[in-house]
Amino acid sequence: MIPARRGRSAARRREAAAGWLMSAPVIVVLVVFLVAPILMAAWVSISDWTGIGSPFSSGVHNVGLANYKALLSTSGLPQQQLGESLRNNLYYVILVVPLQTALALGLALIVSRKRLAGRGFFRTAYYFPSITSSVAVSILFLYIFGTTGVVNALISNVGLHGPNWFNDPDGILHLLLSGLGVTHAPSALADHGFLGQPWWEWLAGPSVAMIAIIALAIWTTSGTFMLIFLPAIYAIPADLEEAATMDGANAWQRFRSVTLPMLRPTLFLVLTLGLISTWQVFDQIYLMSQGNPAGTTLTPAYLAYVTSFGNQQWGQGAAIAFILFAIIVVLTIAQRLIISDRRDTA
Amino acid sequence: MKRKTALTALTALTAGLVTLTTACSSSNGFSSGTSPSATQRAKASKTPLTLMFGSSGTAETNAVQAAAKAFTKQSGIGVQVIPASNLTQQVAQGFAGGQPPDLFYLDPLTFQSYAKDGVLDAYPASLPNASGFSPALQQAFTYQSTFTCDPKDASTLALYINTADWAAAGLGAPPANWSQLQADAKKLTTGGRVGLVIDQTHSGMDEFFYQNGGTVLDGDQVQLDSPQDVQALTFLKSMLTQGIMKLPSQLNAGFSGQAFGENKAAMDIIGNWENGELQTDYPNVKFKVYPLPTGPSGTRATLSFTNCWGVPKQSKNLAGAIDFVKFLTGAQQEMTFAKAFGVIPSLETAQTQYTQTFPQYATFVQELSYAHPDIAIAGATQALGAFDSALAQLASGNPATILKTAQTNLQAVVNQDK
Amino acid sequence: MRRRRLWKRGLMYLVLALFAVIYIYPFLLDVGTAFKTDADATAHPLSPVPSHWVLAAFSELGQQDFPRWLMNSVIVAVFVTAGRVLFDSMAGYALARLRFRGRGALFSAIIAVMAVPGVVLLIPTFLILKQLGVYNTYPGLVLPLLTDAAGVFIMRQFFLSVHPSIEEAARIDGAGIFRTYWSVVLPMARPALLTLTILSFQGSWNNFSMVLVAHQSPSLDTLTTGVGRLVSGQLGAGTQYPLQLAAAMAMTVPVAIVFFVFQKYIMRTGEGAVKE
Repeated sequence: MIPARRGRSAARRREAAAGWLMSAPVIVVLVVFLVAPILMAAWVSISDWTGIGSPFSSGVHNVGLANYKALLSTSGLPQQQLGESLRNNLYYVILVVPLQTALALGLALIVSRKRLAGRGFFRTAYYFPSITSSVAVSILFLYIFGTTGVVNALISNVGLHGPNWFNDPDGILHLLLSGLGVTHAPSALADHGFLGQPWWEWLAGPSVAMIAIIALAIWTTSGTFMLIFLPAIYAIPADLEEAATMDGANAWQRFRSVTLPMLRPTLFLVLTLGLISTWQVFDQIYLMSQGNPAGTTLTPAYLAYVTSFGNQQWGQGAAIAFILFAIIVVLTIAQRLIISDRRDTA
Repeated sequence: MKRKTALTALTALTAGLVTLTTACSSSNGFSSGTSPSATQRAKASKTPLTLMFGSSGTAETNAVQAAAKAFTKQSGIGVQVIPASNLTQQVAQGFAGGQPPDLFYLDPLTFQSYAKDGVLDAYPASLPNASGFSPALQQAFTYQSTFTCDPKDASTLALYINTADWAAAGLGAPPANWSQLQADAKKLTTGGRVGLVIDQTHSGMDEFFYQNGGTVLDGDQVQLDSPQDVQALTFLKSMLTQGIMKLPSQLNAGFSGQAFGENKAAMDIIGNWENGELQTDYPNVKFKVYPLPTGPSGTRATLSFTNCWGVPKQSKNLAGAIDFVKFLTGAQQEMTFAKAFGVIPSLETAQTQYTQTFPQYATFVQELSYAHPDIAIAGATQALGAFDSALAQLASGNPATILKTAQTNLQAVVNQDK
Repeated sequence: MRRRRLWKRGLMYLVLALFAVIYIYPFLLDVGTAFKTDADATAHPLSPVPSHWVLAAFSELGQQDFPRWLMNSVIVAVFVTAGRVLFDSMAGYALARLRFRGRGALFSAIIAVMAVPGVVLLIPTFLILKQLGVYNTYPGLVLPLLTDAAGVFIMRQFFLSVHPSIEEAARIDGAGIFRTYWSVVLPMARPALLTLTILSFQGSWNNFSMVLVAHQSPSLDTLTTGVGRLVSGQLGAGTQYPLQLAAAMAMTVPVAIVFFVFQKYIMRTGEGAVKE
């Protein structure tokens, strides 16, 4: 009896040791390159480090929440730019997430139909942009949306004159409103504001320049999400659809009552991934616009980078990064609460 | 998979990683920027130097690389020349990363921050030519009465006129004041070409404030929202509205010199660094350079720009870097740079030589006497960036609002520095 | 009725074709414009066929440090991919199959990690690389990317689906834990490993922001940061589209090759057992 028990616990210990050993590399990298950096950055965000020497040297002092106050409550340029970047990113998210999800789902539905000629070709075509790097795609879109680029050439073929995309800071909501005759801000909206931006500016909509970057985002990522939808669509039992057809449901009704409910977990996943990634847009801003024109393509991620590496305000830059982190966490939790589906908790 | 090959692969990968880590691991941790010891200063080692700079074009890049090669030949110290795509950012990353370039272009604005942080080596006093520089230039790089950094050259803004377009429009003498400038620009705006292009930043527009009797900074008070400044900016906006002047982004150009070179504009207000650009990239453009028109009340004003050779205290080859600066600020090398991309030498002796060699560019040197230095307030990078973003939209913007916002932001920075 | 069906099918193919054009045409333009002159690119933006075929863009690209960037991209991609395949699968197996105290907590921690936005880590990564003394070195480019939580998740998911009887059989034969893993279970994981390989290669080859903050010396530029210099900042070559597009094309080709060679696996993981 006893030898067996000892043998079993020895085996258990070996198993535990192996478990930790095999997980060790991942743990080390996570601790060193995730946990430690975040702690360091948290320190920098409450310090007055100027970028010279080590942030832990004796000359660097704890300034408490001064950096956060400068960004959130004190009126001035830092607060203004944070407000601007949040507004821009908000419109980016509001446009990109629904559009890319809808497009991905639509393409997935069509591509998954039975008896489709060239299915493989179409799938490959829609997915291909997703594998390229942000640098290559940025170059492509700088060309396509340039003043003498593809989009403007197409627009002029219809007889209209395309805008100078990357230099046009007009918000499209403002443009719409001025088309309807509202050219100036009503004083209620212009005199009051939030985070250094008057409400009228919050309602400006994405700028024309931002639209080009939004188009880029949808074009690049819809293919990835299409691939995520496909297996979920194939998993829908065929007899469910047949039953619905026999009950007299047309395509749209079938979609709403059979397909969509069965896709709910996947839809939820795609929305979550979309939310998390759209709040982080950085590469395209750095490469294409650097926040211009007039700060209408500034995003929190880029603002954090430029505040630290460009203006050498390291404490402020780190603070912006943490504010962004908080926003993403809050939104993800909120989304989980709003669209949670008990069926899909693992 | 065979066990042996798998094990071998695993070992190889681990060994490779370990080797890379130990072999390539350079400076450990951060360095603290202490002053160099006397011995470090005395001997120049053969450690290669890095030179980082922001180039105005192919001409300047070639000239700097040639100078580096000449120095290497003379001294045996290798030099890696790095044209920066964003000089301020890259130098800042270098300092934060503990590996700043050994030599870099330093503008008066960024100079204030680095001098305050105490990271620059105050080498000018140790070089024999310390008193040979133009007083105004020396002043721009003096921090708390220490001359901290050798100016490398100077530039002023002048009016470039495309002589072919000018003759075709039947015009005579260059514009002497604002109203003539406006009239000439109108006549030159024809056939898809605009009359005038200027740079869409404060460094391209501030001279109009001074010409109108206004100013930017008066002691501790920023004066951007003064009536004279607003009037000047409104004048610029009216030229944009009339379509006789455009900004580079409206002409699909990166900066005004490019638009001028491609003849998208017949006149350009830009500094003498444009000479090299035109020589190298646009040799077919025939042009002449004139002093800037005066303001309505006859005030002459322009902007002057300069950079210095920044050397960090923590350079690994401090003596070598200083030797390199000595080489670069020699009269002969300064004249070589002047010939290559048109900047005015910083040494007074070389300036005389410059006027003799290039009588057609005498304008630039003459303008030095009434030039105002570009704004240089420590910590103002963000505020000036926002100002420039707003100025880029001048065609649709409100001059008074733009200036008021810039006024508030810059005053906040000045107050912080006090 | 049949006519209506045909019309509907025709419409469907039209939509598919239209989107195919939208997704593919930019790449055709990329390849074509790389062989155009600057003036041709500005004058004829819609046509992917140059008026005159010139190699000017490529020769100019050759004057840039392109070979160096390529080499650095390969180094980073190879080491990161190897590291991820090796370490993520080990950790995935441990989390799926080995029982040890704290396993649940570790798994939750890894899930939490997946939620940390990469962008938030830019400044922190710079700081830690500096502190460790590997800033501006090759290890600095590779180490932060060496493992990733998503890869662990994928491998764990796969190993959970492996029937325990296989391992039991190996244990009965006297194999140790690691031996069982290495020689018996891992070979079965080929499809998952392949997916992980492709995703890791793609992720590291295309990474821009991490490489940007991890180095400053031009000799460490990868294709992304090197070409990025051609586009942004002061060196941004204004309207020199052919040069930029040639660079974009050149840096996309390796990833495209990997994609087309392995696309069966990529597509298959996305679709399950479907008859073509």
